[in-house]
Order: sequence, then structure tokens, then C-alpha cells
Amino acid sequence: MGKGIGVEKISVQDVTFTYGSEGADVSAPAEPAVENLSLEIEKGSYTAILGANGSGKSTLAKLIDVIEVPDSGRIVVFGKDTADDSVFWQIRENSACVFQNPDNQIVGTIVEEDVAFGPENLGIKLPELRERVDQALKDVGIYELRLREASSLSGGQKQKLAIAGALAMRPEILILDEATAMLDPRSRDEFLAVCEDMRIKKGLTLITITHDMSEAMRCGRVIVMSNGNKAAEGTPAKIFADISLDQYGLRRPVAIRFAYEIARLAGATLTEEDLTGETRLREKLIKILTSPDLAEAEIPEKTADVTSKDRRKIMSVKDLFSSYDGGSTFALKNINLDIFEGEILGIVGESGCGKTTLISHMNSIIKPTSGEVEIYPEEGVTLRCSQKKDVQRIRQSVGLVFQYPEYQLFEETVYKDICYGLRKMKLTAEEQKDRAVKAAKSVGLAKDVLRKNPFELSGGQKRRAAMAGVLAMRPKILVLDEPASGLDPVGREEMFALIKSLREEGTTIVIVSHNMDEAAAYCDRICCIRNGEAVTAETPDKLFSDVEKLAKIGIDQPKITKFTNILKQELSKRLPGIDFETMQFDPVEEARAVYRAVLKAGQNYVK
Amino acid sequence: MLSNISLGKYYKADSILHRTDPRIKTLLYVVYLVVIFMIKSPIAIGALAGVILVQTIMAKVRPSVIWRTIRPVLPLSIFILILNILTIKQGNVIFEWKIITITDYGVGRAVLMAIRLVFLILSTSLMLTLTTTPLKIADALESLFAPLKLIKVPVHEMAMMMSIALRFIPTLIEETDKIMKAQVSRGADYDTGSFINRVKGYITVLIPLFVSSFRRAEELAVAMDARCYRGGEGRTKLNPLRIKSTDVLVGLFLTVCAAGLVVMDMSLR
Repeated sequence: MGKGIGVEKISVQDVTFTYGSEGADVSAPAEPAVENLSLEIEKGSYTAILGANGSGKSTLAKLIDVIEVPDSGRIVVFGKDTADDSVFWQIRENSACVFQNPDNQIVGTIVEEDVAFGPENLGIKLPELRERVDQALKDVGIYELRLREASSLSGGQKQKLAIAGALAMRPEILILDEATAMLDPRSRDEFLAVCEDMRIKKGLTLITITHDMSEAMRCGRVIVMSNGNKAAEGTPAKIFADISLDQYGLRRPVAIRFAYEIARLAGATLTEEDLTGETRLREKLIKILTSPDLAEAEIPEKTADVTSKDRRKIMSVKDLFSSYDGGSTFALKNINLDIFEGEILGIVGESGCGKTTLISHMNSIIKPTSGEVEIYPEEGVTLRCSQKKDVQRIRQSVGLVFQYPEYQLFEETVYKDICYGLRKMKLTAEEQKDRAVKAAKSVGLAKDVLRKNPFELSGGQKRRAAMAGVLAMRPKILVLDEPASGLDPVGREEMFALIKSLREEGTTIVIVSHNMDEAAAYCDRICCIRNGEAVTAETPDKLFSDVEKLAKIGIDQPKITKFTNILKQELSKRLPGIDFETMQFDPVEEARAVYRAVLKAGQNYVK
Repeated sequence: MLSNISLGKYYKADSILHRTDPRIKTLLYVVYLVVIFMIKSPIAIGALAGVILVQTIMAKVRPSVIWRTIRPVLPLSIFILILNILTIKQGNVIFEWKIITITDYGVGRAVLMAIRLVFLILSTSLMLTLTTTPLKIADALESLFAPLKLIKVPVHEMAMMMSIALRFIPTLIEETDKIMKAQVSRGADYDTGSFINRVKGYITVLIPLFVSSFRRAEELAVAMDARCYRGGEGRTKLNPLRIKSTDVLVGLFLTVCAAGLVVMDMSLR
């Protein structure tokens, strides 16, 4: 083994790796997933790996954990070369992974059986085995669930179980491969807190692969991957200050985007130092905004949003109760909600609060236990979900796109798949073709894609194809369950741009989400669900300004609001009489709104 | 849509039967399998029902769960009943109309077959799936078939495959439910139309289900790899199987019951 390769780091040297390169591969020679990649990760550090979908992040994780072996180049983990067969198992034992989908990494039926799976493989004997399992369960805080069935846990609990399973192997490296992607914000924070706590207590080297920029801000170092190679690396502050992340399919964290817009308007510059923490960033912004010679700036007024006032009601949920077993446990309790034509309504709440159950009622997949869902596709027409004769028309009026719709494609060609619903509607072949082509166009799929097999498409394209299948039925209302989940930041933006364009075309949209940032930015009104009860349907600025109420319903403010609220308080102290506009949820718009308010207040102050 | 089926699901409870060593339960299951197909006399079958009731009580399983276990096999059971009634021509004719001939012997056999099927499902559920976690069943089979390792049968691998298959039943049911809902919302209808159309309808469910199962299998394999799975060699067990005196008592008690049933049946013939 080469000398000089430190035992205190993971060292990746000029590594190239292609999937399916060994053994017979039927398809054309694949692109390498990772090409000539070199990087180092210090022992005990906390590193984020960022990059668009398909940039090679997950492959890197697999290479470090020797699940895959490089085609060329070498990887040395704490002084052990992964090409050396005699230390192969030592390296793998030393690093543990938590993956994205909790269901696909649980082996045991019972919680403690699953935690024991790793150490059992290592041949750890009782009583140490028992001690490790109990300790790992206690470390992540799910000891009291140890005898539960793993499939009965919530998503957040399942991911904690996955860390417990990893910790029980007593690794030195913990790799989180988009482990938080399917969690709601609360579970995500809890999950990360556990991992960070373990890193400090056990001296773990923590590597997190993520699309979430605020997660990257928590790390000591960031590595940006693009096209199978390292595009940039450094402290989060350096990464977010230095480079234009957009070209790698990423976005800066909202607070930093906000700050850069303020700096741009004021003609000031932000240094790397300023970006090292939110508090420091706020101090700098206050300094800029309260400087006596604040630059006047030409600020484009935001075009006023359409409000739902004076719009026709298109759906009405009335006193809706729902229980799965007909018994007394209700998944939904007394929901009342009106939806207006042409709006984007958000339905938010933690996982398992009843959001998906609610939207399943909207096109009569689940019948109400009591109460009613009424749909008014046209003036003077009322369809009722509990009435069997209306069901078919309801399903044509309300299109439902479930989470990960791409997993439900089944036909040989995209075209046939889009036509599925149309065939069920018994439309003529020409009509089907016309509608399918238009639907594909409206989701941004090129014409030649229609002839392809859906399984050849990329993840984002698959999702669009699945959406087109619902849109082809020309629903008046389109209900989307977590439409952006699993997409990278640019993919998410594109998805919401698509949703907005569908609204422009006249479709009423209902979005289910647990991402408050996006719900606030894109929805006209937001309805919160908590434990099966609907709390309110209000405009985002009203909803998110009532902090007390939010705490009561257990919903977090969007990140941008959290950041600017403190900033606004500080500004109010220094500029008495400052009058802030209604909050905006796009960081750039919010920056402009704050800037305008400060300018106005400054003028008054001078006078 | 499919969530009300208990068939093949573990039922969490703290009962004597839950605590009994899975190897003993597996052997008992085989014993009762033989008994169910041996006995014929109505009284013995009544007694068997009594023994199964005792087992239910020993397993502390709620009646509603028992019902959900039987319900999915009822159509098959009724189908067998009708088929046997119509096809068995031996015995005294009790009803005749055109080509339909029903005999007393035929009805007797048909009822016996239908009841056997229900009892079979019940005893499988009570002895194994309801009271024993899939991993324990796999452990038991691995241990019972361990001698076969000598002739190079991959006993551990087979047991592991089985336990994973069982572990994924609830997950796949959930997945099927999701796919069906999505297709129903696009106008699919699985319950009406001709038989062929209905079968076709299910194919559209099976394709995405297969695709996603392959994806899951791949991800699970990576996750197992990452957790250092390398076959049965050198593996330890968190809860190794150990036979206690209560296990022996339960085994003896239920074996005696089974023997009693056979003797009763023999003497009544």
C-alpha cells in the first residue's frame, strides 16, 4: 500500500466508474457515472455532496462503501485501499448507509430484528449483540418502539430505524443518501439532529447527499458534483458566495438569495465571511439597509396576483368525515373547504395527517363516511361524490395525480399510456390522438417521446408523461399529491412553472405538499390539515403571519419568512415607523419588498 | 382497497402461542395439516373446530381478525363446494334436473372439502403467520432443514428469501392499492365487464407492480450489501431459538389433541 495516504481521511483518486461495465450488457456502452473523480474527506468531518439528479452523487456513496468498485483509479478509506480484497469487509463494516426510501432498506419485520440485521451479519455474539441493538435504539430515540412491526412505523420513524440499524454496526462513517428526501420538515429536522448528535458523540464522519440547500448549510464542507465529476468544493459560505450554482442544477439557500438581491439593489457586496451563518448575514444586511446613503433603486413592482374573490366555486367539501374501518377512528374529521375556479389551493400538513385521504375523496375513490364533496364543473351542475351515478363524470372533472405517478406507468408506449383514460372514456381514435398530443405538449414532452417506451425516459420525463395521462382527460380540477418530490431544485422549479402554466390555461389546481416554502410561494390559498382536521384556508401571507396560530396547528413558517421576520424586527427598532408590505415568499420579491419599505421609511425619517 | 385482508399478516399480541418456539409451531402445523385431511366424520370435524377455537384463544386473536383471514378464501371455498356438488355422481340421488344431478354423498364430500379449506387457512394462520413473525418462520425452517445443508441445499438462502418475501407482503399490498386507485381515478373499473376484460384490467395493475418490485429488490439488495450481508456463514442471531418447557407443553398438548381427533375419527367410521 502506498505511503503518505493518510489514515485520517477518505481519499478518492482519479476514479472512473460505469454501471454495468462488468458482465454482458445489452444496451449501448453507458456513460460513466463518475469520471476521473478525485476528492478527500477528512475523518470526523461533516460533508454535504450536492448535485443535480444523475450527477454521480449516489455512485460516490456506493464507491466509498465498496458496494461498487471503481473501474480505474483508487479509493483509500482511512488508510485501507478498496481494491485490496483482504480489507474489503473491514471497509464495508466501517461505513454505513441510510438510503432514500425507508421501505426498501428494512429487512426485519420487527424493529429490533431489523436493527440486529447488520451486527448479526458481522457475527457479533450475544450478549454484546443485544447491548448494541438496545444502545442504537436508545441513541436514536425509538427504544420504546423496539417490538413494533417495522411496516407500522411512520416515514420519519422508519428512517430513524435505518440509522439505528447503521449505528448498531458501530461504523466510523455514516453516509446519508438523500435520506431526508421523503420526510416532512419536522421529521427531517429531527432526523438530522439525531445524525449530527451521533457524529459529535461517536466521532462519526458524516456524509450527506442532498438536494436541500439548508441541509448543506449545516455542514462543514460542501462538494458539488456535476456530470460525474467534482465541480466545486469548500465551506458552504464559499460555495454559496463564489459560484453560480444554477449551472449545476442547484439553487442557493433562500436566505442567501434574499441577501444577494438586497446587496444588488444597494450596490453593496457580500463577502464569504457574511455567509457563514444566518445571524451574521442578518447583521450585514441591517448594516447595508440602515446606512445613511442607501442607494435609490429602480424596483420592478410585482404583478398583482389573481385573488380568489368573486370567483365561481368549483368544489365544496361539506362536513366531511372519513374512517377506514367504519369505526370511531376518523382519518378526517368535519372538513369544510371551498375551492374556487382558477386558483391554486395548497393542502399542507405533516405526513399521515389525512391529506391524501382528503384528495382521494375529491374524485370519489373513497366515499365519505358522512358529509359530502360537491363538484360544480359548470354553472348549475352539481356532482356529488357519494352518488354512484355521478362518479364517472366526477372522475373526468377532477384529475388526480398521486405521489410518484411515474411508478404507475404500464403501457408499451408513452402515447398508449396517455390514452388509457381516453379509451376508458370511449372517445374516437382521432379525438384520443388529438387530446394525447395536446396533453403531451402542455407538460412539455416532445412529440418523438410519445413513441418511446415509458421505462426509457428519465425520472422527470416519466412524471410528466404520467401527468399528461391525467391531463388528457381535460379535468377542470387537477389534484397533485407532492408533485415535486424526489426532483432536484431545478426540476422542482420546472414542475411548479408547469403547474402555473396549467393554471393559466384555466385548470383549477390543488397541491398537496409538506414543503412550506413551495406552498407559500406558489399557492393562492393554503389549507392546513392536522390530525384529520382542517384548520383554515387562507392566503399565505395571512396564514404565515400568525405565529401563535401556526404553533398551535404545528406548522412551520417558510424558511424565508423565518429569516426575514427577525430581520424586520431589527429594522423596526432602528427605523421607527417603518411599514412593511405584505410578505412575499419568493426570496427575490421579498428582498425587493423589504428594500422598498426601507427606502420609504428612510424618506419619512429624513423629513 | 386491499387493506382489510389479514391473510398472511402477523398479528401482534402476547400469547402462549406467540411465545411458543416457531419450530414446534411448524411441526404442529404439519401435524394438523395431516389431521385436517385425515378425518372425515362430522363429529370429529366438530371436535376439530373446537380445537381450533382453543388455539384461537391460546393465540389471543380477535374474532374480527379471524374473519378477515377467512373472508378472502370464502369465494374459493364456495366454488369448491359447488364444483364438488355438481361433479360427484356417487351415492343416492336427492335432486335431478336436466344434466344436474345432486347426490347425498356428493353434498357430504363437497361440504367436507369446503370446510377443510377454511380449516387449512385457519390453522396455517394461527400456527404460523398470525402468531409468528416471518423472520421466526424463516429461522424455524432454517433450523428444521439444517440437515439438508450436508447435501449442499442452500437452506439459509432459501429461508432468507422466504422471510424477505413475507416481509414485503404488506408493502406490496399497499403499492397495489396505490396503483389501483390511480387507475380507478383514470376511469378503470375492475369489477364489471366480461371476465376477459377484468383479467386485462388486472394486467395493467401487475405491470407497474412488477416494475416497482424489481426496483425495490435492487434497492434492498444494495441496502443489504451495505449492511454487510454475506450469507449464513458466521451470522449470529439476536433472538436465537431455544426450546423452553412451556414450548414442550404446548407441543404435547396440541399433539395429544390431534391424536385424539384421529382416534375419535377412526372409531366413528
